[in-house]
Amino acid sequence: MDTFNNSKPVLHLLLLPCLLLYSSIAFSSSSVEAAMHTNNWAVLVCTSRFWFNYRHMANTLSLYRTVKRLGIPDERIILMLADDMACNTRNKYPAQVFNNENHRLNLYGDNVEVDYRGYEVTVENFLRVLTGRHETAVPRSKRLLSDEGSHILLYMTGHGGDEFLKFQDSEELQSHDLADAVKQMKEKHRFKELLIMVDTCQAATLFNQLQSPGVLAIGSSMKGENSYSHHLDSDVGVSVVDRFTYYTLAFFERLNIYDNASLSSLFSSYNPSWLMSTAYYRKGVYKRSLEEVPVTTFFGSVMETIHTDAAYKALSRRNSGRFEAQTSLDQSVYHPERRTQMKVNDRDETHNINPEGNKQLLQGQEGASKCPWNTFCNKFLKAENVDSLVNYGLVAMVPFLVISTWLVR
Amino acid sequence: MAEPKEKSHNDQKPKPRVRPIVRLGIFLVSHSFLVSVVCCTSGVLALFLLPVLAKNTYISENALMPGSASPMLSNQHVLDGNRLVKDLTNSNLKSSETGIESHKIIAQYMLDLGAEVSFHKFHPQMNQFHPLHFFSSPDSGKIQENYSCSSYGINTVGIIRAPRGDGKEAIVLVTPYNALKSGFGEALSLGIAYSVFSLLTQVTWLAKDIIWLVADSQFGEYAAVSAWLREYQTPKFSSLSTLNSEMCPDINNLFEIKVHSVAGSKFSNSFRRAGTMAAALVLKVRDQGEQFEDTISIYAEASNGQMPNLDLINVVNYLAVHRQGLRVNVEKLRSLLNSSWLKSLGEIFESLAKVAKTLNPKCKFGIPATEYVEGTATLASSLYYQALGVPTGPHGAFRDYQVDAITLEISPKFSLDKVWRNDILLRGGRLIEGVIRSVNNLLEKFHQSFFLYLLTSPSKFVSVGVYMIAFALLIAPLPMVAASLYVDANSSSNFLKGDSSTPSAITDAAEHGITIRSWKWLNSAKLVFIVHLWGAIVSLLPYFICQIPDCSPMTSFVIWVLLSILSLLILNSVLASPLACVKASQEKEWALVKSVTISSMFIGLGLMSVINFATAEIGALLMVPMCLLAQPLKLDLRAGTLRSCCRIICNLVLGHIAFPPAAFFLLKGMLEGFGSANVGDFWMWVESLWAWNSATYLFIGLLRSGSNPLMIESIQVPLMDRVGACE
Repeated sequence: MDTFNNSKPVLHLLLLPCLLLYSSIAFSSSSVEAAMHTNNWAVLVCTSRFWFNYRHMANTLSLYRTVKRLGIPDERIILMLADDMACNTRNKYPAQVFNNENHRLNLYGDNVEVDYRGYEVTVENFLRVLTGRHETAVPRSKRLLSDEGSHILLYMTGHGGDEFLKFQDSEELQSHDLADAVKQMKEKHRFKELLIMVDTCQAATLFNQLQSPGVLAIGSSMKGENSYSHHLDSDVGVSVVDRFTYYTLAFFERLNIYDNASLSSLFSSYNPSWLMSTAYYRKGVYKRSLEEVPVTTFFGSVMETIHTDAAYKALSRRNSGRFEAQTSLDQSVYHPERRTQMKVNDRDETHNINPEGNKQLLQGQEGASKCPWNTFCNKFLKAENVDSLVNYGLVAMVPFLVISTWLVR
Repeated sequence: MAEPKEKSHNDQKPKPRVRPIVRLGIFLVSHSFLVSVVCCTSGVLALFLLPVLAKNTYISENALMPGSASPMLSNQHVLDGNRLVKDLTNSNLKSSETGIESHKIIAQYMLDLGAEVSFHKFHPQMNQFHPLHFFSSPDSGKIQENYSCSSYGINTVGIIRAPRGDGKEAIVLVTPYNALKSGFGEALSLGIAYSVFSLLTQVTWLAKDIIWLVADSQFGEYAAVSAWLREYQTPKFSSLSTLNSEMCPDINNLFEIKVHSVAGSKFSNSFRRAGTMAAALVLKVRDQGEQFEDTISIYAEASNGQMPNLDLINVVNYLAVHRQGLRVNVEKLRSLLNSSWLKSLGEIFESLAKVAKTLNPKCKFGIPATEYVEGTATLASSLYYQALGVPTGPHGAFRDYQVDAITLEISPKFSLDKVWRNDILLRGGRLIEGVIRSVNNLLEKFHQSFFLYLLTSPSKFVSVGVYMIAFALLIAPLPMVAASLYVDANSSSNFLKGDSSTPSAITDAAEHGITIRSWKWLNSAKLVFIVHLWGAIVSLLPYFICQIPDCSPMTSFVIWVLLSILSLLILNSVLASPLACVKASQEKEWALVKSVTISSMFIGLGLMSVINFATAEIGALLMVPMCLLAQPLKLDLRAGTLRSCCRIICNLVLGHIAFPPAAFFLLKGMLEGFGSANVGDFWMWVESLWAWNSATYLFIGLLRSGSNPLMIESIQVPLMDRVGACE
């Protein structure tokens, strides 16, 4: 009895390190989660109209084919084509698009899923896709539903100039707009890493305003340089591919899903004398060294299978995503409070895997422990966290040792 | 510009400071003589500098992409074309009634290709002078009632619909063909067009419909094309076609035979249309070939100096030179090519350019002397044809409907070899195919490149921004001289009064006098107006003269001259009688008349430069010196100095040159030798001008005669003087 009474504070004492343990695990798990690569997305944009800009559509479609071949599924590719060259009356080969004069490969085959076509490709729609601020009626297939663990490839081609890219012969995307959109994406945890690839004249100027971390950018030409087409198809009567894209494709043709070619090998493969312009990449605040980053980080999608006990975990994230989209609609007028509130929500959501985690934590340990236990199991399964686990285990052993020796005495 | 120094009478009182622009104006007006001499010479010099300042042409529209597609015209198509040529030449030999026969053959060939075919019957419009139709578009709503069945032409029209096109646009290919007396050249042009046509029925890349018009040129190429265009652009909803067939059964036969022979084909009796025309090409092959190379001549001038978009010429030039290896030619004034003074001028410019290059290695203007001479000859012909306002080919009819069109005339290196014939069919056909494919790529009307330009060679042009400088310099002295004359006329009398009384004591009466004097110009304006009226009457007279039947050009010209003089006398007696009583201050009066004339001339030239630059430029070249130099003969005679003698001679010479018939004969004499000149020619020339509704005619009639008050006045003054002496 006495001992039992005594044991009460002891129990508290016992609980304390456990709580400590829990919170530390929870924290570490959340930070690990942010760094985790969940999925790959690609946004491929051809911004120019008219028959004589055939090559821009061919560029985009070739890249579409490449990323699809390297493992990004159609549902995670947003393809925007500003004009329909395949069905243009001037096209000698109806419903076909080629990127080489040998006509070996029809890029506009059966399973091409164009998300935005024709006059839908506007600066507004492009920015909406990036920032995820859509009208409610926009179907999911037209949205970039990336999360904080996504790797996104953004490829754009068209006619550009000093710090702008022309859309549809009538409007333009400025470098400020792009930088702002990327910043918003970062704030909204829409990507982990982003590669912007632009094939246009003076493409490097488009990245001048980019400051967000985790963003890598490469353009086909420096300021004052033109990007040229690669060759003319005298049968179709137009140039069919641009130089930068052509050599990008040439690089990827050698690769398959399992290749480990690094980004730096891609970037160094651009020979200025072939391109007739200087390909320029901007590392900015991108932390990893390019030698260690495989190209499949962006151009492919090697999915790691994560085993989870709780099936609703992913579901909850989706829910929160939808919630986000809804709030964003209301935010046409800027409300700082709401914004912060939403941020808090985000934080909650990410830190506490269970949406009602806060309440449960107040209710008691069992309730709270249920969830950490899962994560604990997860962490246990993961080989990389073994060290910390062992450390925590040793620390946890100490009180047990103390108590057991005290009880024995 | 230096600060004007008013030396004479402004010293005594410090005036309130005037604005610099006003001071500049005063300065220019007060030194009008010097300014006008400098401006005129620099204007003429700038005109001669234009070939040096010409820029290379470039294809401005991105969508055109000429030559990016390899030609698809193969030997098979050439053989097809050859077949048609053979059939046509054979049928020519066979029957006398070839007119209908050859049209049937062409239609049959078109039908075999699967094109839509229709005949268009038209009646030639007689050349009629419509004084009020100069600037209006060709009258199309008019239905001619009194035609005869004997004279009609048949255009054969074939249309290929673009397989996936929207049918809203079309490209027109025209081959003039005179079925009654066709040369081998015409048959060959049909062969080229047919080979292209047969190719185009097979291709998948057409975005615009193709219309092939075989224009019946027995009444002239222009008439046939314009008749078809009139019909095309203004659909008639009356039942005129049925009316036609009722009246002329023999024509109807043709149609019926056709329908029966090829039942179920795409032949139609009614007029067929395609979309709006993006461009039109007129193809001709010259019978007599060049000696050295296959040459292609481009004719671009349409009515009233309108030009097709420069891009169209660029595309043709690019494809002909870089793809088909043809030499491209634009019209030149041949007589200028051998002129030595032009050559020496070119050499001067060349050496000047060299000097400039040594001073500043960056500046590279200047062209070789031979090139300069060629450029000037081309420029002169370009100016001449634009100024004349008469289209240089059937393409002119298209320009009236704002369709860009040019005439291509192929003059092949001549030999009767069959290989050669195939070669010209192949190259000509590929050129046409390339141009059509390029135009087919267009998304909008031609709009990127220039519409206002002068060509100095097929690949060089002078744009409006450059050639306007020469014109502006030339007419700049006019307002200044007018102002200075006006000021002189007013102030000389002021000055006389100012001597008698102190300047401070100007009374009301004097002010009143000034206001009266300042309205004095109205009197001279009246004179100028009367002379303009006379000019209008003179230019309307031919309308009545040409109503007289059976008149030779000679007699009608004489009648015209006589009537003009008569009308002048009548006008003078009725309206201008008060002129004679102005005797007191003739010199002042003269200055006012000159001032008013010059200002009206300035306005006229300025307006004309907007309508037709070339006319205005040539007019300015002739009239500006005349206006500036004109002086009453009497005054000069009285002075009797060497200078005034020179001036008299200049006046007389210029006065005669600027008189339109005189200018015409002089030019003709210079270009063709004086032997061939004939008074009747002028009448013919004028007739051709009004037949084409050329604004030039109106311009000559009104403005040129507008400059006549000076001449009249300068002759009148001594006459009146003599009259006064007699009294």
